[in-house]
Amino acid sequence: MIRFKKIWVSSLVFSALLFSCTEKLDFDQYDHLRLTPIMEASILYVEAPERVINLVTQSSIFTKDLNFEAFSADIFSERVIEGTITYVVENTTSKALEISVAFLDRNNNVLDTEIFTVQPAPAPILQRDVFYGPGGRSIDIVKNTSKFRVSALNLGDSTSTSNLPDPMVTLKSSGQFLVRVK
Amino acid sequence: MRNQYFFLVVLFWAGGCLFGQNKELLYDFTEIPQSLMINPGVQTDFRGYSGIPALSGISFQLGSSGISAGDLFADDGLDINDKVRDRAIVGMDTRDELSGTYQIALLNIGFRAKDPDVFYSFGIYNEGDAIGYWFKDYAILAYEGNADRRNQKFDLGHLKTRGEMMNVFHFGVNKRVDKKSTVGIRAKIYSSILNFNSTRNKGYFVTTEGQRNLLASTVEADLQLRSSGFDELRAANRDGNLPGTILKRGFFGGNLGLGVDLGFTYQINSQTVITGSLLDLGFVYHTNDVKNYTLNGSATVEGVEIILPDALSDPNRDFWQDLVDEVEAFIPFEDNSKRYIAFRPTKLYASLRYNFGKRVATRMDCDCAEQVSVGSFRAKYTNGIGGQLYMINRPRGPQAALTAFYHRRFGNVMALKTTYTVDKFSKANIGLGLSVQAGPVNLYVMADNLLAYGNIATSRYASFQIGLNIISWDKN
Repeated sequence: MIRFKKIWVSSLVFSALLFSCTEKLDFDQYDHLRLTPIMEASILYVEAPERVINLVTQSSIFTKDLNFEAFSADIFSERVIEGTITYVVENTTSKALEISVAFLDRNNNVLDTEIFTVQPAPAPILQRDVFYGPGGRSIDIVKNTSKFRVSALNLGDSTSTSNLPDPMVTLKSSGQFLVRVK
Repeated sequence: MRNQYFFLVVLFWAGGCLFGQNKELLYDFTEIPQSLMINPGVQTDFRGYSGIPALSGISFQLGSSGISAGDLFADDGLDINDKVRDRAIVGMDTRDELSGTYQIALLNIGFRAKDPDVFYSFGIYNEGDAIGYWFKDYAILAYEGNADRRNQKFDLGHLKTRGEMMNVFHFGVNKRVDKKSTVGIRAKIYSSILNFNSTRNKGYFVTTEGQRNLLASTVEADLQLRSSGFDELRAANRDGNLPGTILKRGFFGGNLGLGVDLGFTYQINSQTVITGSLLDLGFVYHTNDVKNYTLNGSATVEGVEIILPDALSDPNRDFWQDLVDEVEAFIPFEDNSKRYIAFRPTKLYASLRYNFGKRVATRMDCDCAEQVSVGSFRAKYTNGIGGQLYMINRPRGPQAALTAFYHRRFGNVMALKTTYTVDKFSKANIGLGLSVQAGPVNLYVMADNLLAYGNIATSRYASFQIGLNIISWDKN
């Protein structure tokens, strides 16, 4: 009888341990979890040496349409919230130049255009940050862009040559975007 | 269809989210036949036993070394985003793991041979085991991104995970060599239902200042995920035949492997016992329904580049597609069906026990009085105290746990074992195991980390074992 009492008591203790307590958990908090990393990468690089510019006698040095599907891809366009595109234009040629970057959608409609006019060397490096999102330009421009149209105009002559080594005009660009993963 | 999804969810939950494998309570708990499963060389005095099918041994273990549910979801008024950042993203490191196991004995039978020193046992159990280490750098990328983290290498090797679900068919021999020593061996055939592993990953992602453009994004990757069984299970789920397919793969229709368990018990003197076992020294050779994925190579991207005059030479050139093709060529994402060998997570147990107090006679059928050993069957003591060591081979190297225990017998009717275990999950893991013998019926219940049951939400480890057996000590 004593043995059975022992078993009974032990079983009770054991059961009590198993019926544990827990502090209140609120799994609805998961709905408020935001995964919004800021990703950055280069976008576009254009390089035109002065010797090539001088070969073109017209003011339009070139115009080129480029596919760029990174923005319009669903994985990006459905998640991007806002972002900044940074341009850096450096001109070491002897002539003033105008570089333009147009944002085109799938139907070749121009959504936005960024124009950079740079003076002959020695000209300061031009940097421009363009914000897309609340308070800036519409983020839809970025979301719907599937092409760039890059153009360069020679605002000077086609004969002069800069004294600087390896003279050229370069356009560098990168984007920094806030995206919603969750 | 809903049931099938439920089944699939349970299957993956069981195989993918459980934790730990240490069975420190069951180890050397000689009143329970299942102790043979973690030391084939344990001292037994049963004439025979039969586990109740599917009820003879059920164990679940859950744990996380880095974070608990309460850390994230406690109703404490704190912003969930702050908690995730502080306690997971920043607070955990790559050695923190989410791992675990479950085991369900489908059949478990043991019987003593004509030679009373030899005991055979055999059976089938289903087991799921998985581990995933905290993929810290991937989490930082997903949570904060790479912006303003120039030159910081995100380690792609942080992805380290493996898991499997299988049936194990086993046959063991336990032999009492002499009054002092007992040895045991168990042969195993593994029938894998599913397996995945991605444990030897290397590489990084880094954003640096570009050579031409403003930024350069570099990926150097040597990543591999090997898997088997998933396609067949997915198709079976689609066709409404998931349980049948799991059954088929678990009964030699999947991938097969071999393994062995070894164990011993040695009586240093009449009261001091040393034991040891090595479990799952084996492998599974995956040849059936194998699907492997690799990402191997390196590439640096600085955006789309237009460099005159070359860029104008071909008016139809698609610079974007060229860039995509170039990256894919340098870092091809490929799949293959190459066979592979997956080694089992080998476990090691060792213990040193000092017995004291009154002696409890063995229940081996005889007419002898209590406090007497029968032949080579030693009488048991009412008390046992000692220490245990547990080690398991893991993708980031061996993990160990140290246990101190006290074992108390109440005649031949009931036995209790309590343990205090220190491991990476907890420094205050107190466990309690109870074995009750009511006639031939043996019931055992065990639970771990009992202090945490006061608030299980904040617990990082929990385990539970239960089993029901019919045991015989009779000669007939």
